Amino acid sequence: MSERIVVDPVTRIEGHLRIEAEVKDGHIVDAWSAGTMVRGLEIILKGRDPRDAWAFCERVCGVCTTVHALASVRAVEDALGIQVPPAAELIRNIMHCTQNVQDHVVHFYHLHALDWVDVVSALKADPVAASQLAQRTSRWPKNSPGYFSDLQKRLTTFVQSGQLGIFANAYWGHPAFKLPSELNLIAVAHYLEALEWQKEIVKVHAIFGGKNPHPNYLVGGMPCSFNLEEAGGINATQLGQVAKLLKEAKDFVEQVYYPDLLAIAPYYLEWAGIGGGLENYLCYGDLPTNGFADPSGYKFQRGAILGRNLNEIHPVDPRDTREGIEEFIDHSWYEYSGAPGRGLHPWEGETRLKYSGPPTPYSHLDVTQKYSWLKTPRWKGHAMEVGPLARMLVGYAGGNAQIKDAVSEALGVLQAPPAVLFSTLGRTAARGIEARLMAQWNIDFYDQLVQLIKAGDTRTFTKEKWDPATWPSEARGVGTAEAPRGALAHWIVIKDGKIENYQLVVPSTWNASPRDAKGQRSSYEAALIGTPVHDAKQPLEIIRTIHSFDPCLACAVH
Amino acid sequence: MKSDAMKSECARPAAPAAAPRAFIRVYVWEAPVRLFHWANVACLLTLGATGYLIGSPPAFLTSGDASSGYWFGTVRFVHFLAAYLFVAVMMLRLYWAFAGNKYARWRNFLPLTRQQARDAVQVAKVELLQVSNESLEPMGHNVVAYFTYAGTFLLALFSIVSGFALYAATSQSWFPHLFIRIIPWFGSEYTLRAWHHAALWLFALFVLIHVYLCIYEDYVDGRGAISSMIGGWKFVPRDVAASPQAQGLSGGGRRRRSRAATGGQQPPTAP
Amino acid sequence: MPALLESPVVPTIYEQMQSRGVNRRDFLKFCAWMSAYLGLQESGIAQIARAIETRRRLPVVWMHFQECTCCSESFLRSSHPIVADILLDKLSLDYTETLQAAAGQQAEEVLQDTIKRYRGEYVMLVEGSIPIGADGAYCVVGGKSAIDSVREVAAGAKAIIAWGNCACAGCVQSANPNPTQAMPVKAIIKDKPIIHVQGCPPIAEVMAGVLVHLLTFDRLPQLDALGRPKVFYSARVHDTCYRRPNFDAGLFVETFDDANAKKGYCLYKMGCRGPTTYNACGSLKWNNGTSFPIQSGHPCLGCSEAGFWDNGPFYRRLTNVPGFGIESTADRLGVTALGATAVALAAHAAVTRVRKRDTIGEQPGENAEAAEASRPTPPDGPANPEI
Ligand code: HEM
Ligand code: HEM
Ligand code: NFV
Ligand code: SF4
Ligand code: SF4
Ligand code: F3S
Ligand SMILES: [Mg+2]
Repeated sequence: MSERIVVDPVTRIEGHLRIEAEVKDGHIVDAWSAGTMVRGLEIILKGRDPRDAWAFCERVCGVCTTVHALASVRAVEDALGIQVPPAAELIRNIMHCTQNVQDHVVHFYHLHALDWVDVVSALKADPVAASQLAQRTSRWPKNSPGYFSDLQKRLTTFVQSGQLGIFANAYWGHPAFKLPSELNLIAVAHYLEALEWQKEIVKVHAIFGGKNPHPNYLVGGMPCSFNLEEAGGINATQLGQVAKLLKEAKDFVEQVYYPDLLAIAPYYLEWAGIGGGLENYLCYGDLPTNGFADPSGYKFQRGAILGRNLNEIHPVDPRDTREGIEEFIDHSWYEYSGAPGRGLHPWEGETRLKYSGPPTPYSHLDVTQKYSWLKTPRWKGHAMEVGPLARMLVGYAGGNAQIKDAVSEALGVLQAPPAVLFSTLGRTAARGIEARLMAQWNIDFYDQLVQLIKAGDTRTFTKEKWDPATWPSEARGVGTAEAPRGALAHWIVIKDGKIENYQLVVPSTWNASPRDAKGQRSSYEAALIGTPVHDAKQPLEIIRTIHSFDPCLACAVH
Repeated sequence: MKSDAMKSECARPAAPAAAPRAFIRVYVWEAPVRLFHWANVACLLTLGATGYLIGSPPAFLTSGDASSGYWFGTVRFVHFLAAYLFVAVMMLRLYWAFAGNKYARWRNFLPLTRQQARDAVQVAKVELLQVSNESLEPMGHNVVAYFTYAGTFLLALFSIVSGFALYAATSQSWFPHLFIRIIPWFGSEYTLRAWHHAALWLFALFVLIHVYLCIYEDYVDGRGAISSMIGGWKFVPRDVAASPQAQGLSGGGRRRRSRAATGGQQPPTAP
Repeated sequence: MPALLESPVVPTIYEQMQSRGVNRRDFLKFCAWMSAYLGLQESGIAQIARAIETRRRLPVVWMHFQECTCCSESFLRSSHPIVADILLDKLSLDYTETLQAAAGQQAEEVLQDTIKRYRGEYVMLVEGSIPIGADGAYCVVGGKSAIDSVREVAAGAKAIIAWGNCACAGCVQSANPNPTQAMPVKAIIKDKPIIHVQGCPPIAEVMAGVLVHLLTFDRLPQLDALGRPKVFYSARVHDTCYRRPNFDAGLFVETFDDANAKKGYCLYKMGCRGPTTYNACGSLKWNNGTSFPIQSGHPCLGCSEAGFWDNGPFYRRLTNVPGFGIESTADRLGVTALGATAVALAAHAAVTRVRKRDTIGEQPGENAEAAEASRPTPPDGPANPEI
């Protein structure tokens, strides 16, 4: 006997995701992932000025704000052969690291934690014991008994108010919650603390980009100028503030996020065997140290892993129009010209909306037909998982010393082999490991920036190809970025100074897409297979695995 | 109210057939109209020039501190000052459309009669396409000119309304705030401003054509069109002045412009 | 519903603040800060204090439609008051897909419970636009179209807050050609008060401030003609911009990162939309006063104005005139039209010249003589015959 479970809306994600799952004997035997909202940005971008595209693209998503703007300016610069000045590259790296770190922390505490942490159980905790527990792994100054007991009081009042707000009607008391109440209390306290911290770190974006969310970018560099002698430019005061914020971010990751992750993980080690899903991982690489045009200088390496084989990294070429990346729409509500079953490289990509699902309101989608607003991307025909896990695996397999050390250290604490990484828990752990690395790299980039300014190179923009009169009548480019959720790329075709075609293939498009014509599942659908379900009415396990990907559906569909 | 001027025009006997055509002076543009016209020219040139600068400021200064200059602020100030004058001038003309002589009357500016439509076609045939010689000889403007001026008055109205709506944001005065309601009609202030800007080019087009046609008319008809806007007087063939059309809206008659007709009798064409 | 939701004890906000160790003095300080923030007189402090002392937490549901979720993100950046305090002490945010613990069926239950139990009392917050194309299939949550949900939830709401450009004006997805026919809330809900909190996204403290206003006074803040709270949207970015003296002095950035940019000259010629944009960026700034777009060297995009996406290209003062190609500004078209007209007039003049004798008909000499002949009888009054 199998049963169809529907989780819609999947909450604590960005966007509108619907999961339908077939459960048999307490385990998921098949699953379908559907994105249920579309905006048509690829259509809207057509005919516009390529220099404006970043602003439109940035609005694809406010959770991973910045990364689409980055991919977009890179795509235009790639098409036009623009190389941005070193200072601009460093600022972009700093903004990018800042984004990933902030996003990972917010994901861990505000989007993912409540899958593992029982808020109600925290009320029963002993604040003193909680304090001792926290101080064992971290020297975070706030981990005092008084702090935890205040928090607990506040929480109690809140719960007793009867107005539970965002905590209402959740899965409290579910047997799948395994943490001791002290750890629950610590996690809830840090939930609130992370909420306060995340708004601080993004001030880095405000300084270089004017605001967060949605800081400003510029084709040809960055809009901010350095002038140490004027209040108007970016001066020593503002740089000092950046330094302080980056340091605080590193502290937060190292003293709060990472210790919490490692404290919680051991209670859920069975999740190191669940949710692995696909065995292929894709990474475009990022954080250029020698210009975006030179992938060999990236801190995150480019490459693909097939069949979990960490001994071989396959080269990836986003420009390969013959056997590289293609998008399919066999289960997506779109139309392509030409024969059905066709895949299109994004430079030739088409976006024509064509809804063919059931009329609303509906209780089930017809999953044998088209059932999602996401297209289905494939690399050389393979379904690929992207994300922090892919980045850590490619870095680990590729022998990047820093990544290798960081991964090994975490595995050492958990006393587990690398194979545990291929799982729901592994995905969540990889994110924390990456946050730690990026928090440190961020400081390194900052130091390099200061050195550069000291040496007198304060250029942040090159105007040489700013004027459309200097552009070729036709050009195409691709901009990639390792967004928080994984490999992101924008492909642009410019004709007569205007956007002729613009296609985004986004991390969550890779992971959350419907199956392809051959029936191959993408990451979410594959990862859910075999997931245990204790109570079909309470989809806690499903959202654990889905959340481990950090879904962003506005991104995925755009 | 029959004016003396009219009497004097009509009192003159028609010229003898063989004699050279006789012209009389007609006082067409009263002082307020002329004042309006040249003040209007001044305002528009000022608004247009300052408006253009506001739209595309040149890089006069590329160094220095903000405290060292205020030229752009001054340009804007002059624009706004001229804007208020412009309103005053327009109001004067509006008033005179009711109080002035028959050539200045509001009635001329509105296409209301079939005759006006026929005349408009005729003007187009004669002056623009030059396919007919059957020229109309109004004493005021010709019908097409009146309608065009009506168009420019509307354009001016738009510039004023849009300009003051934009100006409201920086003004404490009640007057500009009368117009802010129109902003949403244009979607946003930015779009309204773009339209306000576009009006500049419509005005420029008008002025180009207008000045050309004034010179053209002066040249072709020789009735002193340009000087009439200065002194108020036009020179009108006696027979035209005496024709029945002279009693019409803006006065005037019809004349065949051709060599064949010169020197010969020039009977006014029947209405 | 689990028992926790049924608990009858509902302490007031002040009681809750007390229980977490906020003393009377801090409490009043908070009220004073809030009232200054909302631009109130002295007496306002007492009013806020009273409101917070006696009021239950306001039930609020946050609906998500066609959005980038940046409005949610921005809200999370609020420093005054911080979001944790809003969530725990001030509001009861009963539904928001972004943060709530429950998912799927359980999430829908909370929503239904709130809109039934607090009918006429809850406030609906809307993020995102509502697509009306394809019978609503472009945005579906829990199998229900956005249009159906927004109608259902609005029906029992006491007021609606439209967050950001998406909910206020359709934002990026409604930019030409608006493939999904994305609509703002006001296009669908006509019979409820809607507060339009504009921006893409709005400034965090503006969002929080609007909520605190509602909570404190239990009525809408004063709105402008476009339904935006006056306190935050009555001034143009341009009028609060610290680069304004450079504008008046005619000191402009000519290209990014030029010497002028380094000196913080005005970004007007880089396409700054500050002169036509109403937002609090120049005064409140972003991220707890850290900076705002212009301060970082980028021109204002006009992100709090309806339709700003179609006013591009962004780096030029004048927008493209649709239908005339990429570089077609009003100026270009104007100059072209003038040129074409000048050519036409020259042609006309030439033809006139050629056909001179035909057109003019009479010898100039005649006219002169005739004019001379008539000179002795100038009229002595204005010609103003009755018509
Ligand atoms: C024939 C009449 C006018 C012309 C040709 C004209 C032209 C212009 C032009 C070209 C601009 C620049 C727009 C841009 O590129 O953004 C401008 C700006 C402006 N005009 Fe006018 N204008 C006229 C009348 C008026 C009037 C009557 C007002 C009333 C106050 C006015 C108020 C403004 C304002 C407020 C601005 C914006 C200036 C600023 O804030 O910096 N204009 N005008
Ligand atoms: C900014 C420039 C100008 C504007 C906006 C303008 C506008 C007008 C308007 C509105 C009228 C109709 C007057 C009325 O009936 O109240 C008029 C008539 C006239 N204007 Fe101008 N004018 C401009 C420049 C000039 C110039 C430079 C000349 C001289 C070369 C000129 C010569 C005339 C003449 C001769 C008439 C009477 C023409 C006729 O009988 O149709 N104008 N003008
Ligand atoms: N998927 C995705 Fe994004 C990320 N990270 C995009 O590039 O979240 Ni909104
Ligand atoms: S208004 Fe802008 S920031 Fe807010 S959801 Fe819409 S696109 Fe995002
Ligand atoms: S930078 Fe923009 S908002 Fe500031 S003064 Fe210049 S034009 Fe105005
Ligand atoms: S772009 Fe938006 S954030 Fe402010 S400065 Fe302009 S309104
Ligand atoms: Mg795409």
